[in-house]
Amino acid sequence: MEIIEEKQGGINIFKLNGRLDSNTSQGFEKKLFQAISDGSKTMVVDFKDLDYISSAGLRVILKATKAIKREDGRIMLCSMQDYVKEVFEIAGFDSFLPIVATMDDALDSF
Amino acid sequence: MAPKEYSFELKSDLSELDTLCQHLETFGQKIGLSKKFIFEVNLVLDELFTNIISYGFDDDCEHIIKVTMTLENKGLCLSIEDDGKPFNPVEFKTPDVSCSIEECKIGGLGIHIIRKLMDDICYERSENKNILKLKKGTAKSKC
Repeated sequence: MEIIEEKQGGINIFKLNGRLDSNTSQGFEKKLFQAISDGSKTMVVDFKDLDYISSAGLRVILKATKAIKREDGRIMLCSMQDYVKEVFEIAGFDSFLPIVATMDDALDSF
Repeated sequence: MAPKEYSFELKSDLSELDTLCQHLETFGQKIGLSKKFIFEVNLVLDELFTNIISYGFDDDCEHIIKVTMTLENKGLCLSIEDDGKPFNPVEFKTPDVSCSIEECKIGGLGIHIIRKLMDDICYERSENKNILKLKKGTAKSKC
């Protein structure tokens, strides 16, 4: 999986490309937590080019969301493909994670 | 005529998840299964495989996990065989998924996903092996 990191007006953006599973989730977790420990309080994860997610991927998202919340920050998840979104729904995560349709929606929310 | 049974073996290493994905794409194209169906079967096998690798073995030796997929009249049967510690996912208690973010516990989430996506799950322990058989109808696609 490829992770592209960008910064836009103080917001950390992570663009995921490929498959987020138990083999790739640790690398993503490290990047997210590095940004949190560097003081980032606003983050967007762009799922547009992510083709696949397993519970290991959900675990990282949940962990990071909790961690950034403790720092009074916020994380937004955007542009999910249908299959990927369904995994969040099966897990019940869509009820408490901020999932929005587009990158613009995510950026406008801050 | 497309083959109705497809078997492959995975080594006990998480990098084999890519091999799993390739096998499923090959099988799915031969049989003509939908992308959504393949995605869901991939997810189920991934969760089972990851569980086996993460909790099944006490040693650092290489183990083999055998996967067989059989196409039947109304669905697909999966069989996963490993020589790890006895583990019966059928009896495993899954978490309450209707909780808030603070209460949400992540353990058991993989098994919860498997149960949601499959129609039938059956476990047996035979000759020091875990054999898990799962069935998923091809007519309907849950979730």
